[in-house]
Amino acid sequence: MTIKVGDEFPQVQLKYIPFDKSNPDACTSPQILDTKKDFAGKKVLLIGVPGAFSPTCSVQHLPAYVTKASEIKGKGVDKIVCVSGNDFFVMSAWGKEEGVQDKIIMAGDANGELGRATGLSLDLTKVAMGPVRLTRFVAIIDNGKVAHLSIEPDPTDVTVTGADNVISAL
Amino acid sequence: MAIQVGDTIPNCTLTYAPFNAENPKACALPQQIQTHTAFKGKKVVLFAVPGAFTPTCSEGHMPEYAQRVNEIKGKGVDVVACVATNDPFVLDAWGKTFNVKDSILMLSDANGEFGSAIGLINDGTKNRMGPLRLARFAMVIDDLKVVYLGAEPARGVTVSGASSVIAKL
Repeated sequence: MTIKVGDEFPQVQLKYIPFDKSNPDACTSPQILDTKKDFAGKKVLLIGVPGAFSPTCSVQHLPAYVTKASEIKGKGVDKIVCVSGNDFFVMSAWGKEEGVQDKIIMAGDANGELGRATGLSLDLTKVAMGPVRLTRFVAIIDNGKVAHLSIEPDPTDVTVTGADNVISAL
Repeated sequence: MAIQVGDTIPNCTLTYAPFNAENPKACALPQQIQTHTAFKGKKVVLFAVPGAFTPTCSEGHMPEYAQRVNEIKGKGVDVVACVATNDPFVLDAWGKTFNVKDSILMLSDANGEFGSAIGLINDGTKNRMGPLRLARFAMVIDDLKVVYLGAEPARGVTVSGASSVIAKL
């Protein structure tokens, strides 16, 4: 069953590689992002994408969030997290390519735990993209509760999950 | 049971994003290949990595192949290919960081079909790397027959490295 507005956001552990200002190209030690402990008392913007480095995600989806990260945080958002079914090494590399720095935490859900817990998983086996993927969505999680949820009706496109649409919901 | 020297490789679908010489930075639409069609009658060096952009793969495995690909092809090899369970977009981006262009075919086995068929696939869930990861290996395939197989027994790059393969050509 898919999560909806008003639900408690499930507790899942994701992995990410923190941005290291002193060594921006480094692949530093991965950290765990716990969606209960690390989101408690905070306003979090969570962006789900089907695939790092894929055209729609790289051209139409992520860049606007990178550009508007300060604006988003200016509206009371404490953390912006981008998650996909890719692993955390791939997410870190993609973040470096997109100039994310420390604006957005690039987390990997390679085991599909978040997808299963939220019902937002996508099986892309039919298009040879593997079984563990997330659909395109954006959620605002306020002190652990889902305050806003937009799920892209067609995950190959970016409409309701785009940065501008989310900013107006903040 | 894992594939062995003397076996014929299975016929599987792999995908890749073709290199576009006119627009080298472009991310092309992934194409499919069937291993039997693409490799028939050819000498192929195929090396597998658990994960694009991971430290061992990026520092210890891929670079030597990228540097020595011409040397490998000079010894009668028609195709040098890298395979992983990452998707073709990720593999294309990773290949670009090594400037491989079209010298190394970056093949995606995102569904784990090939890895499962040859018995060289692992579950990376314990390390939060997902359920489908290829073991690290290198194969020399001659007209679809495995003539060399270097499957890494542990972490690190030894029998699957470019120098080990070149010594066998």
